[in-house]
Amino acid sequence: MMPGAQPAVQPGAVLRSSFLTSLTRYRRSWGLWLLLLIAPVGARFMISDESGRGVAIAVADQLPVLTSAMLGVWLGIVVTTLLLPVGYIYLRANTNRRQPWQVEEVTAAPRIAMLLGRFAADAAVLLGTLGTLTWAGWFLGWLMVSGPYSPWQIAYPLWLIAAPPLIALAALRILFDALPWLRGALGDLAYFVLWVASIAMPIVAADQPSSFTANLFDHPGFVRPLAGPEPAGEMNVQIGGVDPASLKPGRIDLDVAAGLHAPGYIAARLAWIGIAVALVLVAGLIYRPHRSGRKRAGQGRIAKLLSAGPPPAARADAPPAPPARSALLGLGLAEFRLIGAGRLFLLLAAAAALAGLSGDYRHFGSPAALLLLVFALCAHAGRCEARGLLKLTATTATPPMLRRAAFVVTGLAWSLLLALPAAIVRGSGEPLLLALTTGAAASAAAMALAALTGSSFAPRVVLLIAWYVYFSS
Amino acid sequence: MLTLADISRSYGRKRVLDGISVTFPTGLTLLVGPSGAGKSTLLRLLATAEKPNGGTIAWDGVALPGARKALRATLGYAPQAVDLPEDLTAREFALHMAALKGLDARAADLQFGAITERIGLHADINNRIATFSGGMRRRLVFAQAMLGAPRLLALDEPTAELDGETAASVSALIVERAAEAVVVMTTHLADALAPQAVQVLRVDQGQVAPQ
Repeated sequence: MMPGAQPAVQPGAVLRSSFLTSLTRYRRSWGLWLLLLIAPVGARFMISDESGRGVAIAVADQLPVLTSAMLGVWLGIVVTTLLLPVGYIYLRANTNRRQPWQVEEVTAAPRIAMLLGRFAADAAVLLGTLGTLTWAGWFLGWLMVSGPYSPWQIAYPLWLIAAPPLIALAALRILFDALPWLRGALGDLAYFVLWVASIAMPIVAADQPSSFTANLFDHPGFVRPLAGPEPAGEMNVQIGGVDPASLKPGRIDLDVAAGLHAPGYIAARLAWIGIAVALVLVAGLIYRPHRSGRKRAGQGRIAKLLSAGPPPAARADAPPAPPARSALLGLGLAEFRLIGAGRLFLLLAAAAALAGLSGDYRHFGSPAALLLLVFALCAHAGRCEARGLLKLTATTATPPMLRRAAFVVTGLAWSLLLALPAAIVRGSGEPLLLALTTGAAASAAAMALAALTGSSFAPRVVLLIAWYVYFSS
Repeated sequence: MLTLADISRSYGRKRVLDGISVTFPTGLTLLVGPSGAGKSTLLRLLATAEKPNGGTIAWDGVALPGARKALRATLGYAPQAVDLPEDLTAREFALHMAALKGLDARAADLQFGAITERIGLHADINNRIATFSGGMRRRLVFAQAMLGAPRLLALDEPTAELDGETAASVSALIVERAAEAVVVMTTHLADALAPQAVQVLRVDQGQVAPQ
């Protein structure tokens, strides 16, 4: 290169470097190997027999005959419906979540090439996991299938059903990382909404004859393999935990191949891969840089209301702080304050407490309080379990496990506090009992998952799903 | 040459830079001033990591954003804090940065070896960043900024956390590069470097003035 000449950035080199460095980082993280191990071990629990152990798929209250093709379909459907959030958590919480954006974002490298490289690495990791699941499917098929054993007939439907949503998931992660407001808790909430919608949307496809458009609504890809090419009308399909007592005797023989080759089905599956790539291209186009450490303070009345206000006057002659009278009490109060930090939380907490004063507490007040706590608990748990901070806090007189215990206790205290007005107004202990169980479970799960992953992503998504189950049950 | 005209930057109601106009010629410019005065903010603006609220930044006579691509193509930036990829080796990280800067991989590898040799990091470049001390991380960020032949170097306290000897090695490299590049840096070693600087600017209360 001539002195002073400006280097021309090669998009191919940027893509390749982003892909290889991301993949290297994945390869060196224990999380990837855990994922690759869990997939085949978990495969056994993804197939249920009449005992109801494992994940069941029932059509018209009957389990399907487990042919080779049905086994592939079964595993594929479990991946695209129930396991996608696990993939999302892994992508958001893994080692690649920290990027050297401070120096990357001031280079002339094309954002699209950078993001395509990361997307390719994310997709490769998820498809690698699908690969280990395929091996497990072949082994399970050898043991379990009725009729001829065909490795191809297991792998083909599994990959046709599961690969496009996994690739789309990798693209969604890239899209969420492209915009500041989707990089944190709002992104997790958006994913949760999209995931619920993706499971509900196939109903649209079931009512119509098989076509490319109808199958495009079936993101998890289960309608045609289970219902066949004709309109299914009201589809009686259960996926997940099925009460064995509700199952009819015998098994239903489904023509899975007819569904897989229904008009427009394969094209719609491939279209989801195209949509995924398009999402990454859009992410590259709309990419917004990270914000530097200095954040813009809000203005206006709302900002004033939510701001902490001016600091108390400093005293130059303030003496050194003496030991607290009760270190445990001080720890508990500190955790209590940090979980409920900020005026916004206090305003929302007051609203949640008021919501519980009337109506069905179990289905209104309690979910409202729990939803607020999910965000507050996960945010604080993720903050205090960040690896860098842990190195500092571990050197204090308070052992980390004691602080975690204080977190769970004070999380429970917040839960009880939010339910207290409802209990007083109703003159019933039911709100407090509900708050006791939901608060304890949410606090313990938030802390355990945050400690395990060092971030708030995993606890937030898991607790949002648990919240949805609680809300809708 | 880099020119700032009537540049302002605020965070909420706090105005950190208030209509400053300054020219950075080829050579070393030192930024001094109290903590929180806006030195790092000014560097972030020069490095296009942030946009000003008002005013114009021009590179080689062409105003941003039109000149942003050209500026970034020849920029070396070393901020104080970087989320370094802990699970990569220093060399892998540097080669990734070289790819993003559009540099030839083999030549960048050689150059990275030469830079790290001079700043006492070469023995560790095949070790994972997770094993690095604060000073080693600082030198790694500096080394990636020096890759290629940057015509604009924005360095935020590149010698912080370094012992005297290593800081001198880093400073020597910076002074060498300043012979043909615009180098703007904040440092606590301003007294030692001032004789080699073309200007020393004091940033304080939103204003920039010659020291």
